[in-house]
Amino acid sequence: MTDSSPAEIHDLARQLTAADPAVRRAAAERLCRSGPAAAAAALPLVRACGDADEGVREQAVAALEELGAPPSEALAGLIEAVAAADPLVAYWAITLLGRSGEAAAAGVTALARQLAPGTDPAVAQRAAWALGRIGSAARAAAGALREAASSSDPRLARLAQEALSAVGE
Amino acid sequence: MICCLAVLLPAAAFAQPVVKPWDAVLIASFNIQVFGESKLAKPQVVEVLARVVRKFDIVAIQEVRAKSDDIIPRFVQAVNADGSRYHYLIGPREGRTSSKEQYVFVYDTTRVEVDAASAGVFPDPSDRLHRPPMCARFRTRIMPAQAAFSFWLVNTHTDPDEVPQELAALTDVFLGMQSARPDEDDVILLGDMNAGPPEFKSYQRIPGVGWAVSGATTNTRRTKTYDNLVFARPATSEYLGVWGVLDLQSTFGLPLDNALEVSDHNPVWAAFHPCEIGGPQTIPLASQPTTIR
Repeated sequence: MTDSSPAEIHDLARQLTAADPAVRRAAAERLCRSGPAAAAAALPLVRACGDADEGVREQAVAALEELGAPPSEALAGLIEAVAAADPLVAYWAITLLGRSGEAAAAGVTALARQLAPGTDPAVAQRAAWALGRIGSAARAAAGALREAASSSDPRLARLAQEALSAVGE
Repeated sequence: MICCLAVLLPAAAFAQPVVKPWDAVLIASFNIQVFGESKLAKPQVVEVLARVVRKFDIVAIQEVRAKSDDIIPRFVQAVNADGSRYHYLIGPREGRTSSKEQYVFVYDTTRVEVDAASAGVFPDPSDRLHRPPMCARFRTRIMPAQAAFSFWLVNTHTDPDEVPQELAALTDVFLGMQSARPDEDDVILLGDMNAGPPEFKSYQRIPGVGWAVSGATTNTRRTKTYDNLVFARPATSEYLGVWGVLDLQSTFGLPLDNALEVSDHNPVWAAFHPCEIGGPQTIPLASQPTTIR
């Protein structure tokens, strides 16, 4: 599992949706040990953050922390996952979009929506961070960022302010 | 001093109690990736982890991830199975999402003692750190108490997506800990920084800052320098200039796959004089790591 082939990663990604939690857990753990090669499984790993099994979720999170930016073909699915009801899924979808920088510009509207009051605080904060990483291509989110910059949540306010600078406002 | 540390070197020491030097305290940091039920259920992994801990006087552990509270007690029991007398301090679950981590200090009670009342999480009212560091004050027991080296350990694991911001915040933590007690000037910040010395610009705000690991990789794949021990050299003149990365593959003869089962990080460590040294000394930094086997 040290230098997993694309076929192996694909197979492990498929196993993340197996009915048996032990199979899903083992697949997530092996992806976690796959290093940057696991980037090819970025979207299935994000979805696995919503797994009912704690072991699957923890391994998926650990894998996502280390895999860097996702492949471009994962972006559309990640943008869709930004609105996921499970905050951990949304958080990691947003994080991977932020890592993609300007390439995630198509996700600006979805990200800006997560700045709305009532959003899970960690999700809203990460959305502000991701918009800052997208930079000038996220200018359409300036209004939502200005509002977030006056939030009573000091971290959200700070990240929104930083994002405003990054988008050129 | 390095000669005395050499008593640790024989690989055959695995089956016997580890003999530690009388003239150095060995402090390590180890990110044990997703240390929870799954890892603890693998006896071969626990055995390697226990052998790692027994080589050091204190190990600052990052990434304990478990809903259960008995992971570390069970692990320390495994460490002590050879007659060792380690104990632990564990922090609260930390993290902004539902996925939390805990910091732990595992320490050899025959060699160091901890002021349990001093242990806690550094306050982070502005929420600058994903997992605010756990601090605790230790003192060596190798020397009489009035002469013993005492020090703060600040255990940290940065968020890989906000490294520069978190290193800046950790600099403030370090400076805060330096003035936390008038009778304690030694602060050692250790953990998974997700950054190497070229990215330590913020730390330059710490007068006389130094770090142990330099020019060596610390992850199991041997591609990145993420883990380190950071201290102020004028204050912490007890640093002996001896440090190392305990390479899981070569130390335990593990193929990369098996080493990654243990963790994606190797432990890093540094040696300190067990006596409090009053004034600044000039001890050259070692440019090459020392090997512990």
